[in-house]
Amino acid sequence: SSSITELLNALCDCSLAGVSWKRRSLGAVSKEIFRRTLKKRAYGALLSKLFPDATKGLIQKLSVTTNTPPRNKVLMICFDLRVAGCQEEAEMLEEKLELLLKVASSELKEVDAVLDLLVHLAGSVPTPQTSF
Amino acid sequence: MASATSANLNAVRETMDVLLEISRLLNTGLDMESLSICVRLCEQGINPEALSAVIKELRKASESLKVQQQQHTKCHFK
Repeated sequence: SSSITELLNALCDCSLAGVSWKRRSLGAVSKEIFRRTLKKRAYGALLSKLFPDATKGLIQKLSVTTNTPPRNKVLMICFDLRVAGCQEEAEMLEEKLELLLKVASSELKEVDAVLDLLVHLAGSVPTPQTSF
Repeated sequence: MASATSANLNAVRETMDVLLEISRLLNTGLDMESLSICVRLCEQGINPEALSAVIKELRKASESLKVQQQQHTKCHFK
């Protein structure tokens, strides 16, 4: 039941995890200043996507996948994984997608939006190295 | 009444677990805490593409801070 502002602040705090503030040397950025910078950048990114420049909007062509349901986008990723030889990952992803359709709680109304977010973030961090 | 609430909670938890597994398979870099914040933001009607841009921007900013701090620490100990 938190507001969007509170949730965005929490997201900013999450991204500060792992930054050490203890051994801060003279002249380094303070936590508060950096938190403010993060919020500014977060709102900047959010607003630029929500209200893209009107002239750009006229020129920009809609992507083919814009209206594709997020579940189909995940299935397209599964196909790409198979093509890339990652059969196991593709099968696991398909299984999880099926499971999601079964277990999706009625409390969560925007599961498709969350899936869409995950598709947008797919591959945004390097694949974890397998240890030997 | 209490059992219905508990069943709802379990269903939400189960959905979150599956979403986290999908998130891991897709290498999104989200942990359970940030994923649950994102789920709540989506529930509030935030556009997923805009939210992904926010997350990428926050990552860029915190990465540059880490680099900046490492350089600062190196200079300080020289």
